[in-house]
Order: sequence, then structure tokens, then C-alpha cells
Amino acid sequence: MPTSTDVTTAAAADDPATGLRAIRALRDLADRLEAHQVANARSRGWSWQQIAEALGVTRQAAHKKHARSRKDV
Amino acid sequence: MFERFTDEARQVVVRAQDEARHLRAGQVEPVHLLLAIAADPGPGGETMRAAGIDRDRLHRAVAASTDELDAEALAAFGVDLEQVRAAAEAAFGPGALDPPGTEGHLRFADGSKKSLEQALRHVLARRGLARRNRVIDSGCVLVGVLAVEDPVVTRVLRQLGADPAALRDQAAHAA
Repeated sequence: MPTSTDVTTAAAADDPATGLRAIRALRDLADRLEAHQVANARSRGWSWQQIAEALGVTRQAAHKKHARSRKDV
Repeated sequence: MFERFTDEARQVVVRAQDEARHLRAGQVEPVHLLLAIAADPGPGGETMRAAGIDRDRLHRAVAASTDELDAEALAAFGVDLEQVRAAAEAAFGPGALDPPGTEGHLRFADGSKKSLEQALRHVLARRGLARRNRVIDSGCVLVGVLAVEDPVVTRVLRQLGADPAALRDQAAHAA
């Protein structure tokens, strides 16, 4: 007997509209969480290099995306 | 421009901001004006109710089509947005998942500004009325919103089984 999780997963896989909406929502969610996590890491003294490594991106990419204020250089 | 607005029409503009903020939108879009008109006791709201547009259903349709953090779509992948929100707020404070810059005054999007201009234009084009007596009521705002043919407005109205062009004619007739 299919569980309700099976049903929702099947629905998500079958319907491109739901699937694509979910992808967009997941990206937005990740972006907002990333901003908080990076700010938190900076306030605890993490370097851009350390943050970039944790995120799996280059130091330049992490800096470009998140450095806003002058003290954040 | 607002000196020509009736109290009800002013309330629509104020309420549109609340609607936008509630929906965590970055700007006040035409669809937020439409939502505000749906709750309006005056001529704009009457026209919408006469067309069978229910405020709560409209609100749900708007929430589903404009919320970036689409709880329903996330749930289809087993992500409970409210749980994520609770965890994020526990770590980073209330509103941690809100888009940046939604506190305080919200800007009116170009489409919303154009909607209000169209409302004014509609009133000024009316004949048989002294110019000074031409006021903008909530019905005129509805005409203005529908005149700009905003894609989100068009989509949610169709979802509710309403024809945007027909609604515009009804609103223009009443206003």
C-alpha cells in the first residue's frame, strides 16, 4: 500500500509544474539560509577561504556574493 | 493625485501594502491592489463579488503563484517549510527567512503606479460630470489594475474562472 509520502513524491516527479516550482523554492530557501550562515561564520572569525571551502566554491565567488560592507573585506 | 481618491480608494492603497508585506513580497504589485479591492466594501469590491471572486480563494491563488518560498511545492519533496523557518528563526531571530528589505515602507512597483495612473485617466475621461466632481473610487482603481494587464493578475483571475477583460468592462461600467 502506498504511503502518503510515496504519493507526494510521485506527484512531484510526475508534474513538471510542481517539480520546477519546488526547485525555485529550494534555491531561494538555500540562498536565504546561506546569507545567514555566511554572516554568522564571518562574525565568528572565519576567513573567506574557509567559508568558500565549506561551500565548495572559490574564495572570489564567496566574497563577491556575500561581502557587503567595508569591514567585510 | 491622492486628493481625488475617496476614503475607500485610499484604504485600498494602504491595504495593498499590508497584503504585499503579508505575502513577503518585495514590492507592492498590481495583484496586491487587486487583493485589497477584493476586501473593499465599496464599488470595486462589489464588482468583484458580483463576478463571483471570493477574497479567500483569490488570496490562496496569489500566495501560491507569488511566494518564492512555495510551501506547497517544497512539501511535495518532503521539505516542511514551517519546520525550516522555525529552525532558522531559532538560530538567527524572527523573520530570518524573509526576503531582505521587507520591513517598513514597501515601494510601489511600476505596474502598480501605472494602475493608479490608469484609474485617474479613467475618471478624467468620464463625461457629463464637472471635472472637480470626478473622484477616484475603488471601482476606478479596479479599472486601473485591470487596464495594465499584469500577467500575475491575469493568471490568478483566470484560475478563479474569471475573465479579466469582462471584469474590466463591468468595472468600467460601474465606475
